Amino acid sequence: MIKQIEIDGVPALLAPAAGAGHAGLAFRVGFADEPLARRGITHLIEHLALFSTGVADYHYNGATGVEYTFFHMHGSADELGEFLTAVCTSLRGLPMHRLAVEKDLLRAEANGRSSGPADPMGLWRHGARDYGLPSYPEWGLPAITEDDLRDWVQRYFTRENAVLWVAGDEVPAGLRLDLPTGVRRKPPAMSSALPVTPAWFPGGSGVLVWDALVPRAPRSAVFAGVLERVMFRELRQEGGLSYAAHAAYEPVGVDHAQVTAVADALPDKQGAVLGGFVDVLAGLRVGRIDEADVAAVVKKQTEALRHADEQGARLPGQALNLLCGREVLEADEVIDGLRAVTAAEIAQVAAEAWEAGLLMTPHTRADWAGFTAAPTHSETAVAGTSYRSRDTPDEKLIVGAEGVSIVSDTNRVTVRFDDCVIMRAWPDGGRHLVGADGIVVFVEPTLYKGARDAVERLDASIPAAVRVEQPARDPGQIPQPVQPVPGTAPSASPRPWRRVIVLALVASAGLAMTSRIGYELAHDLVDVQTGLVGLAATLAVTVLCGAGAVRALRTR
Amino acid sequence: MRARLTAKDWTGVRAVVDNLSPSARTKIVRHGGSADGSEQVLREVLDRDPADGTAAAMLGHCLIDIGWKARSSYGAEHVSRDQFKEFHAWLRQAEAVLIDGAARNPRDPAIWAARLVSARGLELGLAEARRRYDRVKALDPHNLTAQFQMLQQLCPKWGGSWELLHPWARAEMLAAPPGAAQGVLVAEAHIEHWLELPAGTRTAYLNGASVRRELQEAADRSVLHPDFGRDNGWVEATSAFAFVFSLLNDRRSAARLFVLLGELATEYPWQYLGGDTAEQIRNHRRRALAGAAR
Repeated sequence: MIKQIEIDGVPALLAPAAGAGHAGLAFRVGFADEPLARRGITHLIEHLALFSTGVADYHYNGATGVEYTFFHMHGSADELGEFLTAVCTSLRGLPMHRLAVEKDLLRAEANGRSSGPADPMGLWRHGARDYGLPSYPEWGLPAITEDDLRDWVQRYFTRENAVLWVAGDEVPAGLRLDLPTGVRRKPPAMSSALPVTPAWFPGGSGVLVWDALVPRAPRSAVFAGVLERVMFRELRQEGGLSYAAHAAYEPVGVDHAQVTAVADALPDKQGAVLGGFVDVLAGLRVGRIDEADVAAVVKKQTEALRHADEQGARLPGQALNLLCGREVLEADEVIDGLRAVTAAEIAQVAAEAWEAGLLMTPHTRADWAGFTAAPTHSETAVAGTSYRSRDTPDEKLIVGAEGVSIVSDTNRVTVRFDDCVIMRAWPDGGRHLVGADGIVVFVEPTLYKGARDAVERLDASIPAAVRVEQPARDPGQIPQPVQPVPGTAPSASPRPWRRVIVLALVASAGLAMTSRIGYELAHDLVDVQTGLVGLAATLAVTVLCGAGAVRALRTR
Repeated sequence: MRARLTAKDWTGVRAVVDNLSPSARTKIVRHGGSADGSEQVLREVLDRDPADGTAAAMLGHCLIDIGWKARSSYGAEHVSRDQFKEFHAWLRQAEAVLIDGAARNPRDPAIWAARLVSARGLELGLAEARRRYDRVKALDPHNLTAQFQMLQQLCPKWGGSWELLHPWARAEMLAAPPGAAQGVLVAEAHIEHWLELPAGTRTAYLNGASVRRELQEAADRSVLHPDFGRDNGWVEATSAFAFVFSLLNDRRSAARLFVLLGELATEYPWQYLGGDTAEQIRNHRRRALAGAAR
């Protein structure tokens, strides 16, 4: 039985749990709230808040996800009380002397983290804003100031925007949640960078990833489970096309959930993996659903819930429900909901998911299967001063009053100044601009005639709030014009992906940023994760997708 | 059946199709949808009953055929960009119908066979074609219509290679019972190979010892086998071997096959000789029968 109480103005959930007690404090803030030019600020605050609690024998951690940030600990009632009280005190007075060191640590952490195949999905679906932000590295770190941090805490790390859970018999006696006062912050509105769905884009990894937004409901959770079973059977067991074939369900926002499917493919089987996956989805959407699959999925999810309930591992998820304005549900209520799901309802979810789907193909095209290519170019170019490319005859950089474009015979990318979400600036004059739609323009003064002047005009037009200074580049990293080899015809487009660039580069360049949570749960908080979801298969998806496991916390 | 289809007598069409063996049904479905006005009739049938797999397969073929006419049957280098665009647009339409049809009738080999044609035209690659072919094979192991499609897919002109094609053709033949028509796959593989060679070297290719041996083995196992009957595919097989033996100047074997054919023949592979195909067949038949009589 989950008890709802309030501590120091913070809503709290209390439930008994087998084994050692644990407790957590969560805030409704995550990557999706960050502007790209301050990407990393929530993670940085989480690190700073934990610094003063840095006693080695505490079994604690913090995690920053897409929509939530939490601090969590296992231990005795006294230890739990002490830890969470200290976190709140730290949030009130962040150890700013640690700022530079923690920024370095975050950069090191990002370097050591491998990217997941599903990382690019957000960027292609949403652009360089709200739910697209998890696709991007922590590019805002160099620009984040002490004032930025204090403002962010004041806005998000408040008692009204927090929730506490305690798995144990009672609330720790010494617990004080001394947080600033503020307001509850709803999850951000979801932007779309896709004019048409179902949509596709070519991935760089040889892995197929598909996702779709579905209603947040038991039928959607069962759909994800059935999808995984059918994928496993058709792609792995019968077809021998994929080794890993998984699907996961994760709540997003208040009323939605995202179903994500991932299937790997040998280089010579990529076309067949796509074909097989298209047929799997088509089978479900026309209602060819095996009752035995439904029963198996409901049984598996029910058992996981029961196990989680015993461990108190449902509490974090329910706490996040409370934080986003949903009801707290007992395990039995959720199980009743799962058991009531019918095959017809699953087919309905599959049909809706098909229509809303975004597919990252394993290199292959997908227009043949009814998917529309996601935009990789801008609709228009700006008018303004042109600077000719030094090595690509048909290419020019244009800087106007309203924005910047790079245009060639075959490509056109534009970032409008009022729509620019970040401009990364190198001392050598290199500028990297990203528009809210995710379209990228690289301005390299070495590559366009007279482009020093273009850089000055950019610098004058871009608001300081989106400018992020970069450390000097190694001279070898500064692009130089490619000199045509005598006696050969100049190629029309010698480096199509270097400057006239689309979203894909961000995704495929191995900029190893991803949701930190999937990583941390996989490595440090395995007990929480397995307690919550219970099954190694789900863990594998989390690792594979690199997806925000804070969302997985909310699965139930 | 085409007449019934044109007359919108779908019950009548199904009465013909439903009583056939899976292989024969696949073949009839492959060719049945090409009558004028079929597209509209088949769309109406599918609107009434989206689960009708026969209608889905026939409509798929019908749309593919329309697309292929727009493309023309010339080599890719002779097809314009606009022609390819139109071709692919029709094939995507066909594929949409066939994806849905396969989803509702995953055990219908005729739909998977149709999807081999669309996969080839849309250049979905060998892995996807093999996946589709494997679906047919699991349902109907010796489906000649699907095998002919897979054979084309394995040719270099569609992304395959001779190294893949010839062993595949022989393996498919050996998997089928002696006397079955599948020996024709070996013959067609060599005919396709022969066609791709520069003029002047072609006859030498067919006359090469190993090719001759393989062709003889395939003929002995199919058209010249005592168990070779009048099952689905016998005309295709006999006509192809008559062609091969005519080119090899083996008039005795050719004559045997022309006798077997009587007044029948298939356009393939004779159209590869150019000119009036029927005239080509008649000339070779006359020559073979005269030679054999001597």
